[in-house]
Amino acid sequence: MTPVTVAVPSGRLLDGAMKALEAAGYLSIDAWRSTRRLLLPGVDGNVRCLVAKPADLLIYVEHGAADLGVAGKDMLLEQSCDVYELVDLAFGACRGVLAFPANAADSWEKKSPLRIATKYPRITERYFRSRGRPVEIIGLNGTVELAPQVGLADGIVDLVMTGRTLRENHLVEVAELFQSTARLVVNRVSLRSRADAVAGVVERMRAAVARSAVPPSA
Amino acid sequence: MLLERWQQIPAGTRDLLPAETGRVRAVTHGIVRQMMRWGYREVTTPTLEYLDVLVRGEGPEAGDRVFKLVDRRGEVLALRPEMTTPVARLVATRLREEPLPVRLAYAGQVFRGWETGSGRPREFPQVGCELIGSQTLEADAEIVALAVESLAAAGLEQFSVSLGHVGFLRGILAGLGLPEADEAHVRALLYQKDFVGLGALLERHHASPKSVDALLALPALRGPAATAEARRLAVTPEGQSVVRDLAELQEMLDAYGVGGAVTVDLSIIRDFDYYTGIVFEGHTAALGVPLLGGGRYDRLLERFGAPYPATGFAVRVERVLAAGGAGGDSGAPDVVVTFVAGSRDVALACARDLRAQNLVVTVEVLGRSWDDVARDAWARGAGRAVLVRHGTAVVREADGREREVALADLRTLRPVGGGAP
Repeated sequence: MTPVTVAVPSGRLLDGAMKALEAAGYLSIDAWRSTRRLLLPGVDGNVRCLVAKPADLLIYVEHGAADLGVAGKDMLLEQSCDVYELVDLAFGACRGVLAFPANAADSWEKKSPLRIATKYPRITERYFRSRGRPVEIIGLNGTVELAPQVGLADGIVDLVMTGRTLRENHLVEVAELFQSTARLVVNRVSLRSRADAVAGVVERMRAAVARSAVPPSA
Repeated sequence: MLLERWQQIPAGTRDLLPAETGRVRAVTHGIVRQMMRWGYREVTTPTLEYLDVLVRGEGPEAGDRVFKLVDRRGEVLALRPEMTTPVARLVATRLREEPLPVRLAYAGQVFRGWETGSGRPREFPQVGCELIGSQTLEADAEIVALAVESLAAAGLEQFSVSLGHVGFLRGILAGLGLPEADEAHVRALLYQKDFVGLGALLERHHASPKSVDALLALPALRGPAATAEARRLAVTPEGQSVVRDLAELQEMLDAYGVGGAVTVDLSIIRDFDYYTGIVFEGHTAALGVPLLGGGRYDRLLERFGAPYPATGFAVRVERVLAAGGAGGDSGAPDVVVTFVAGSRDVALACARDLRAQNLVVTVEVLGRSWDDVARDAWARGAGRAVLVRHGTAVVREADGREREVALADLRTLRPVGGGAP
């Protein structure tokens, strides 16, 4: 019997995902750090992890190459993959915002054509289309905040955690498009054909999240 | 080596070589034959439909997932993304006067206009059936049982069918008395299988923590546990009747002899908007995507002016093959026939006789020597090579031995492997 496979994203959610899996008892972070392998056995042999690019992770889960996965809500919104989204893992909190250079933050609605650079072309398209606002979207893979400074775009849609990157690049948030945290997702067939094993992982991850939850007053 | 455009096919489409085509055909025919044994008659609808027809059947989202074409008169046509809506249109128009129930089967290519690079095909074969005009549980049981028998007829051994009901989750959510605006939001969350979003929505509407927990536990519940939990959760009369229906359905499926392959699973959510009752999916551990899907759709035909209830399912043929569905023979000839000068008429008559016995026969068309023809026949995996020479025939075996037989005996020749269907 192949072990249940959990896909974890490289990038900003990697540490949180590894900690969550360790807290649920599936993984030893120290053991993983010493090897940095992309496919690593779990502690008990019944669960293994694979490390995937964040943009690819949902594809692994949708096709059943991984039974479960840890994915940012931002990717779930952007990619509309056919997976079950079951647990809010509560780490990796951030927001997707529309931002413009400070000197254009009041006048962008009059700009035509409006050009927006983003790593989230579909979310951006949905946002502007549902408001009946024509927009030209420029899909980029990183350092989106640079685009307005060099005249590539008028504004950006990008993830914001602390807002520091926006400030450093003299950008001002004008609207929030979505909020994101890490989610536990499950392949629709694994949920059924490997029901017991998958449900076990879901429950232990859910319990680990509940244990680590910080009361709002703290 | 880079291929020129004229050497390529569009992303998400496939050429099927002879062996693959044979396997697809064998699985398709196996399933259609099974459906016909249950009284389902096969129909064919056009590959192209008016976009309006598809949108009427599947809802406005249909426009986003189909390939569209504009014809010379400016009509917007679309390649069918599934077959249930075209069959509904057909029943509501050409078959309107048929006595109910109407049992129909279909097999054909369907098309999805989604983006490439996601590993999803944009054209694939589907075979399915629809039972139209009955609202009874008997009709649902027949369709689910036939779904199980169809996968068995396709040669699969390890598979199961998960059986749910759209009324159950909708019932839990409807019981909360959400404002109308949130109903659409709830439906969207359901189609996205976003249980985190559903849980958050319940909390916002001050649902009891218990009902939130119950909702979040649903995807982990299978079989008897799911039924018991459903009984506890179904507080509305509608919810109670869903639970009773599922229990009765399970009994009927036992009587059909397929109960062991069916599991109650209340978290089944199908992609199409038109389902109104039971929904089900078939799957196997070897494959991360469903083998078949279906359910009851009582409001679809009324959109075409015929208020008939209906239930049905469709099988993904290429997924059945990927899951190890048996398929057909290799397509290699049973007999390769060549002849000496002057014996053409006799040779062609022999070939005709052999074909009449369901053997696969090829006749030499390159004018090669007997040795070359025989060598080529073995390379293709043929059963026998035959040289027709005036009144007799020389039969050469795979090991090169030859024997001479009378033409009359050739007509009763069996291939070495005895592989005729």
